[in-house]
Amino acid sequence: MAKSTIKLRTKEKGGLVQVKALITHPMDTGLRRNKKGDKIPAHFISEVMVEANGESVMMANWTGSISKNPFISLNYSGEKGDKVKLSWKDNMGKSDSLEKTVGKKK
Amino acid sequence: MKRRSFIKSALVVSATGAAVTGGLLSSQTVLAASHEMDLTKAKSFDEAMKMMGATDAAESDMIIIKAPEIAENGAVVPVSIASDIEGTTEIIALISNNPVPYAAKYTMGAKAKAAVKSRFKMAKTSDVVAVVKANDKFYMAKSNIKVTKGGCGG
Repeated sequence: MAKSTIKLRTKEKGGLVQVKALITHPMDTGLRRNKKGDKIPAHFISEVMVEANGESVMMANWTGSISKNPFISLNYSGEKGDKVKLSWKDNMGKSDSLEKTVGKKK
Repeated sequence: MKRRSFIKSALVVSATGAAVTGGLLSSQTVLAASHEMDLTKAKSFDEAMKMMGATDAAESDMIIIKAPEIAENGAVVPVSIASDIEGTTEIIALISNNPVPYAAKYTMGAKAKAAVKSRFKMAKTSDVVAVVKANDKFYMAKSNIKVTKGGCGG
């Protein structure tokens, strides 16, 4: 299996679950040029969804103004054992997702 | 002069027309995301604010932007935005001097704390504006970040 593009960390403290994620993605704005001077087409994550136990916690709409290999961090009120799922979609139709249980190593 | 502006406007009309038909022909997701598409088309900060209907957004000190004062590398600027306003549903980040000011929109679920942290790209020294939608009203806060090396294009 190909390595996931998502690195997901979850931590519970005092009723709040912290979700941190790193996504491997080029995030091209469409303004940059390659060595030949041709424009590199825009290629960025347009949608990130975070769900906990199937319920949407946060949805982000991104543009090319987000840095390469984007990082996102957020908190929500939850508890250990919650299943946190993060998924993304980009403007070229690619997507990936990863699910983790809060408070578990794997 | 008149003729020139006429040609220009004709070109713009045909371009938008093509874009619209393109949108109709492609999948439904494009249609659903049309609102977002509009915002990414806004080339200036004022335009983006107008498109959101947030021109009358009140400045609020309940919105906290945490960002470096000077960012050495504009390609990676860590910014965290938190809103203490009750009923915050949306957090929109705009970078006023970027070629496309609209950077990100976060829609918060019922359980989520209204605080997010991401890394943005900045073309040059600019204001980062956080627009928060709470109870169908807009609030905003801004923070100036100096950039020594740009992160868009180049």
